[in-house]
Amino acid sequence: MTLDWLDAFLITGLFEVVMVIGLALLLHLQLGLARIANFGVVGFWGIGMYVFGVLYVQVDWPFGEPWQFLACAAAATVVAGLAGLLVGWLVADLDTDGVLVGTLGFATAVQILATTQDDLTGGARGMGGLGFPYDIGRVKDNEFLWLVLVTAVVGAILLYVWRVHRSPYGRLLIAVGSNEPLARSLGKPTFRTKLWLFAVASAAMGFLGAMYGVMVRFLDVGNLGVGVTLAAMVGLVLGGTARVWGAVVGVVLTVGLFDIVIQSYLPLPREWYTQAIPVLREAAFGLTLMVVLLFRPLGLLGDMRRDRLMGKIHGR
Amino acid sequence: MSETAGPSVLEVEGLRSGYHGVTVLKGLDFCVGPEIFAVLGANGAGKTTLLATLARLIPLMAGTIRFQGEDVSALPPYDTAGRGVGYVPQEKGVFPDLTVLENLSVGGMIGRRSRDERMAEVLALFPDLRALQAQPAGTLSGGESRMVACGRALMQDPRVLLLDEPTAGLSPLYVDMFFDKIREIHETRGVAIVLAEQNATKALQVADRVMVLSLGQAYAVVDAAELTTQQLKEGYRI
Repeated sequence: MTLDWLDAFLITGLFEVVMVIGLALLLHLQLGLARIANFGVVGFWGIGMYVFGVLYVQVDWPFGEPWQFLACAAAATVVAGLAGLLVGWLVADLDTDGVLVGTLGFATAVQILATTQDDLTGGARGMGGLGFPYDIGRVKDNEFLWLVLVTAVVGAILLYVWRVHRSPYGRLLIAVGSNEPLARSLGKPTFRTKLWLFAVASAAMGFLGAMYGVMVRFLDVGNLGVGVTLAAMVGLVLGGTARVWGAVVGVVLTVGLFDIVIQSYLPLPREWYTQAIPVLREAAFGLTLMVVLLFRPLGLLGDMRRDRLMGKIHGR
Repeated sequence: MSETAGPSVLEVEGLRSGYHGVTVLKGLDFCVGPEIFAVLGANGAGKTTLLATLARLIPLMAGTIRFQGEDVSALPPYDTAGRGVGYVPQEKGVFPDLTVLENLSVGGMIGRRSRDERMAEVLALFPDLRALQAQPAGTLSGGESRMVACGRALMQDPRVLLLDEPTAGLSPLYVDMFFDKIREIHETRGVAIVLAEQNATKALQVADRVMVLSLGQAYAVVDAAELTTQQLKEGYRI
């Protein structure tokens, strides 16, 4: 199969869109169901990316691909999950403001660590030397296969989130988010529930970070800014924080519009892509967030449509 | 102090609790048997604080709470609930984002009997909820919300049910219905009930014993039939 018809920029843009959809879906579990305002998405994603990168590049592994990738990605996932456990333990009992500041602080700490520990991470110079765990020919072919794989991973996340919505665990998350003292009085260990959610979501974010590292093959601390969190947050809020498909629709309309339509198909001056577009992107995302929160706080897809679902479950 | 008719379900000794260092309950001693135990008192007497403390949502400053002989003073609220303490707060007693059926299901996550069996019992007790099953609880009226909150607590199969002013702000029709239901729950399910109420007349009609709470202290703990108007007035500081 030849991929000549496929633009390399389109593959990269689609990868970005799919990855952010994955992050927004995980954020949906935290923010949409349990009302945990995690503003440190990029921190967990970044930990996964850098732990993967450091292990992949700095460690002399006794085995080749794909085991090297699998070992490094597994370690990145575990470390991101442990970071989620630690951050969750610190902030789970705080109010929304506390969670927001705590997670934002964590993400900043990750960025500072990645920048200052340049013996390990390459610091501001960045870190190269990453590669795909396979070689099927041209770079574009490898990238396309990686896009397919990340789509499968995000598909699995979507399926998991879908099932959570329809499970007692999902109802527990909503209960904890909407009235935590009441949930506690009903025999629910709410702190443990939030902690577990933090750990699982963070681990998955870390895995997506590792996959991103492979796709770009060069780790840049500039990626650890607020952009990734903002993209996931804006997409989710635009689509609807309470809806499973909210993350998908919102991210397609924001990241998809900017990273594919504008960057790939609009005839803009070349210098805009490196200077104006990234700034414009974050400004537009911030503006979108404000407009949606002011005029359509439930997002484009609105509130949960649970009545129809309940009717199906109970055969009415 | 009057004695319980049967073995104590709840025993409270020297209970002190409050919020942010401010002591609201100033050393309470009482026990609750298999009965309806009304806690009466004016606004600010400490009724809500007492029930939230018994549900272990507020930490104790001093004293002990024993539930069926076991000291639960240091247990987290979810462990206390798991042992059979059901709690219906005065406000925010439902999960607004969940439907009525989901609210009841969440209550049924603990308990040994089949959830369907308990659900059928709750819907038989509150038949009005049948038509509202798919409706988000946040859209219910005050009376409907109280029914859901009460049904949710009953889904836990509690041994003791803590009801915090279940009829506050409800229409007279709902008030009568609720007091009938409280009596029915106690008689048919054998659940001990601690009922915090301002409506002394109604509470005394269903209660077996009563504690009059005044500024965080037990002014009187007597059989409901023996409570005098004078005791009530002095307890309410009228």
